[in-house]
Amino acid sequence: MVLDLTMSMAVLALLGALATIAGCLEDLESDVGSQSNPNSQVQLAPQMGFLHRIFNKAISGEPISNGMSAVTGGVVTTVLLNAKFYPLTAIVIGAFIAAVIYGIFATTSYAGRVASQTRFKQPLYMDIMRYTTPSIIAHNFIVCFCLVSIAYIQYAVLGYPFTIPFLALIWGISVGAIGSSVGDVHYGGEREFQNREFGCGLNTALSGRIVRRAESGLRNSIDNVWFCAKFGGPATGIGLGLTVFFSSWPTTIWGYTWKAMIVGVIILAVMTIMNRLVEINVKNAYGPYKEDKEEKEAVSVAHTH
Amino acid sequence: MVLLDPTTIIDILLIGLSGTLICLAVHFIPVGGAPAAMAQATGIGTGTVELAAGSGLVGLITSSYMYAYEPSADVYLVMAAGAMGAAIMLASTMLAGGLIYAYGVAVPFASAQVKKDPITGERQDIYVSKGTQGQGIPTICFVSGVVGAALGGAGGGLIYFVLMGYYTPLITTHAAAVAGVFTMGVFYVNSVIPSYGVGGTIEGVHDPKFKRVVPKDVFTSAIVSMLCGIIAIMIAGGMT
Repeated sequence: MVLDLTMSMAVLALLGALATIAGCLEDLESDVGSQSNPNSQVQLAPQMGFLHRIFNKAISGEPISNGMSAVTGGVVTTVLLNAKFYPLTAIVIGAFIAAVIYGIFATTSYAGRVASQTRFKQPLYMDIMRYTTPSIIAHNFIVCFCLVSIAYIQYAVLGYPFTIPFLALIWGISVGAIGSSVGDVHYGGEREFQNREFGCGLNTALSGRIVRRAESGLRNSIDNVWFCAKFGGPATGIGLGLTVFFSSWPTTIWGYTWKAMIVGVIILAVMTIMNRLVEINVKNAYGPYKEDKEEKEAVSVAHTH
Repeated sequence: MVLLDPTTIIDILLIGLSGTLICLAVHFIPVGGAPAAMAQATGIGTGTVELAAGSGLVGLITSSYMYAYEPSADVYLVMAAGAMGAAIMLASTMLAGGLIYAYGVAVPFASAQVKKDPITGERQDIYVSKGTQGQGIPTICFVSGVVGAALGGAGGGLIYFVLMGYYTPLITTHAAAVAGVFTMGVFYVNSVIPSYGVGGTIEGVHDPKFKRVVPKDVFTSAIVSMLCGIIAIMIAGGMT
């Protein structure tokens, strides 16, 4: 252990807080730019005859695009640190450059994707590009800032064996994986299909029939991020925050021993039980959808006797 | 020939074993792909590569830190650290994802592959919503995912341990960087192989696909991973 226990816990708490913000903002960035799996529906809609005003980015899978952005920020930060810049200045400039590069990818990706849909008459709205791109850059800047800060703290304060860009790359990939698994469900499963009945899964027949009208006027990506910021984003933040905090907490307290590993197993058991409680709760609230055939037969047999 | 040295052969075999472990691990993780992101299928709403690599790399961070700061750490402890990091990442993801399925999209968790959950014994088929292939993350999928992530993290820890042992005498200061990047590469290779086998989605150990595709995928992975091991040893030829 490099630091004493109190300081280690303080640093760990800071890492957890940074990770929570990064996770939340990463998911919101993927909602405002429409990326990853739910974007398949945004892409499909014009082919089904549903033209829309939603940004259509999907640079690549979320882990890769966020990994690229974070590693760009990490490299610039490392170069500036070698040039004797203050760490905070170096991280801010690094994150800004990475976010601007990300913005370039977003615009070319949007223009390219819409251009490929010419035959379905999907227009390329210049106002959408003008209003949404700065929002994408802003969200990505905060994500990059938090991730490169985590990498800097791990490298410079905690003494991890990997360099800042490599740590930033790993956390970029992880935040993308969590954002894609958690927050995107809120965007893809709920926000895009608010026209389905609440309390059931999405019928495959509804594919491509995304909601195009907003609370007021036509829906755009800014409306989507407003909605997802209420639940999808914070839940993603909790996911990454828990990951960063609990993956280091046992070894911080109990050192590099088997005891720490056993504590890790206990954390996993607690999480499994929590998931089970959520499962019981939601099963009681919604469903079952079909009547149990065996029970139905038993009831009918009882009636005939 | 450096490749015929018994220690080197053992290293290559260990890298092959770790890669195979990662490939096997991916089959345990309930990957729902794009349909799960729209609550149309059971599992986590993203792809195999994203999940396996994302969780495995968190395991790589924890195992590398263990290796760097516990000089007496044996291979089992480094593997356990990797397993713990990866499993906690995936458990956190599934827990947060479960909250979205339950309270954001509002769907009961149900597997479409089994009639009853093997762990809780609860009926699944009656909770499958119309026009879907199940939804959410039932207990069996959660447990299967945690076990899978732990296996993957342990595999990553083993590769890192083997490569650090090999590279450290050659390039003292940069050994961690080369070993880390190479471990990441092996993760990606072995996350892609199962994607072809499972066809994008698998619910976990209880899915009939599991028994069908695991032998073929594991065999492919063992060969490919050993090839990776040979390359890892060969690139050390220029390190002096």
